[in-house]
Amino acid sequence: MKFAVLSVPDFALHSLRRGEPGLCGRALALVSGEGRRARVTEASAEAQGVAPGLAATLAMSRCPGIVLRPRDPASEVEAQRLLVAAAFTLSPRVESTDGGCCTIDLQGADPARAEALMRLRAAELAGAGLPARIGAGATPLLASYAARRADPVLVVREPRDFLAPLPLSFAGPTPEQEGILRGWGIATLGGLTALAKAEVGRRMGAEGVLLWERAAGEATRVLRHVEPALSFAAQWTYEPPVESIEPLFFKLRRFAERVAFELRGAGFVAEKLSLTLLLEDGGDHRREFRLPEPGADVEGWMRILNGHLAEVRTDARVAGVRLVAAPARPPEKQEGLFDTCLRDPASFWENIERIAAIVGDDRVGTPAPLDTHRPDAFSMGRPAEAVAPAAGPPVHPASGPTLRRFRPPWPVRVTCDAGLPALLEGGRLEGRVRGEVCAALGPWRSAGDWWKPQAWAVETWQVELAAGGLYQLARTDGGWCVEGMLD
Amino acid sequence: MSAASQTVSALRSLLSARFPERNRRPCGGVPADVPPLDEALGGGLPAGRLTELVSAVPSGGGQTVVARLLAATQAARQRIALVDGADGFAPGAVPDDVLRHLVWVRCSESAQAFAVADILVRDGNYAAVVIDLRGCAERALRRTPSSIWHRLQRAAEASSVAVLVQTTFPLVPAVPWRLVLDTPLSLADAAAPREDVAGRIAVRTERSHAQAAEELAG
Repeated sequence: MKFAVLSVPDFALHSLRRGEPGLCGRALALVSGEGRRARVTEASAEAQGVAPGLAATLAMSRCPGIVLRPRDPASEVEAQRLLVAAAFTLSPRVESTDGGCCTIDLQGADPARAEALMRLRAAELAGAGLPARIGAGATPLLASYAARRADPVLVVREPRDFLAPLPLSFAGPTPEQEGILRGWGIATLGGLTALAKAEVGRRMGAEGVLLWERAAGEATRVLRHVEPALSFAAQWTYEPPVESIEPLFFKLRRFAERVAFELRGAGFVAEKLSLTLLLEDGGDHRREFRLPEPGADVEGWMRILNGHLAEVRTDARVAGVRLVAAPARPPEKQEGLFDTCLRDPASFWENIERIAAIVGDDRVGTPAPLDTHRPDAFSMGRPAEAVAPAAGPPVHPASGPTLRRFRPPWPVRVTCDAGLPALLEGGRLEGRVRGEVCAALGPWRSAGDWWKPQAWAVETWQVELAAGGLYQLARTDGGWCVEGMLD
Repeated sequence: MSAASQTVSALRSLLSARFPERNRRPCGGVPADVPPLDEALGGGLPAGRLTELVSAVPSGGGQTVVARLLAATQAARQRIALVDGADGFAPGAVPDDVLRHLVWVRCSESAQAFAVADILVRDGNYAAVVIDLRGCAERALRRTPSSIWHRLQRAAEASSVAVLVQTTFPLVPAVPWRLVLDTPLSLADAAAPREDVAGRIAVRTERSHAQAAEELAG
């Protein structure tokens, strides 16, 4: 087993179908030409009674409900990229032979492992909407014959036994050659190769020798290798623009499948995904997702993308979509023996993304105070994967009741007596904070950033109301406000 | 025993036998390191259960309970989530060290808080989830369908997470534990170490697990 061929029968048909959710399970045929000259070129299995060459009008009468479409070059390009990407996961030496066909140089590969991988890829491609057949053999030609007979994988170990019953058409004889051979009573490759090669050459010339070699599966050639993908991106333009998210989901899944194959083929995993929705009005909606665990798991990606898209509202219809995966080397790490890590990292990060879609990106995470004394200054960071052990006892242990902030602070009128707050009142505070102050602590004055335009200065008080309740007041140039409750 | 009671009892036995996993009682708890609270709950916030903490008066100590719970879970190296219904948590009010295991969700309304809580309680990576609904619009809270709470309760049971619901009035129907903070702290506590303040929080048990079970049983 030196070569493998990855082939998709009815490639144009499957390419079109995998790009449009509405075509799944329906009778579908590709047509070429227009009007009365339109002819069926490929027909799906559901299209009963429709065969290539049939007039489009006749196809519609024979199979009511059939969908007739011209070929879609963009879908075919996307499907071919998927096929090539899948081929690169089997070997780094790949030829993009034709639409729906890749030839892979497997020399040096472990045969048992290669066969298992081929079966896996065939199943994955079928799941991605491309029912591929994979054949393997000693020459590219033999592998291509095997692919035509595979279901879905066929490895030819005994070429003579495999080739003998195959019809002569596999070797591609010219009509003239076919007529001669039929006259000799030869209808299979085995029948032709049973004749001596030199005798065939003497009677049919050099062309006959080439036919004999093709029939014997001996013809070999140099593969035109293609380079693996260096950027892991996919883009699609909708014509017309779409208003709902279902077409986006469908297309993104197809993109994700292809990009995941490309990453795996190149030995990478994705650490970030970048999604861009191109809007009809020229604007766009961009979002970057840092993956919980770098990988190439399409289902995990889709859960993150779907969770975000379900909450997205755009001002205009979506005219295009772009998905870019940032590659990284697969993670290799070992946690500490006593680290308490996440039980289910995938679920954790997916849920963080889902929550971010509900409340906003900047409103979920782990808070960290900023290096300033400015009140309520903090940043929201990415939660840690492991809970670190507690540090030693703090230099300044927390004291007193804990502040619960009012955001934004409540404006209040404060009447002072002998420099201390004595009465709180204010229109916004009716029924909430109003009353006589029975005890007050303060002031604590702080200021900062005086060298910047955002200079600040605040005077803080803690007061206890006679009616009950501890509150923190702040006095700035703008007046008094209740910052929160000490609770 | 009446015929109806016998029927209900037989039905329960049948369900217990057929669905033993549904009858499993979560065990363990998450100590809040607030002695009056832990004492009332028999050791800490029960895992797999909802506990309602009603701040019936201002400055009853509800936020100090959150701060102590953060410190206690950090010491135990457990992860905790805070669903902040009115965005009232002040990171600067607690030591930096006790924030590193916290996932804080700043909601702007109660509906968001419920949606987020539903996700977090099912997550399975958290030892405790605090749902702070103080400061949320009372009308919206009173219109909350009881099915939301039952759904949260079932989810908590499945993931064995301790759920603390902070409210200003009794809100959660058939909650296993409802504790009320009805004595305000005073400004004299301002200089006291926080663990001392936590020890002074007055906790009244309005409903215990046994009462809730009786209520559910009808």
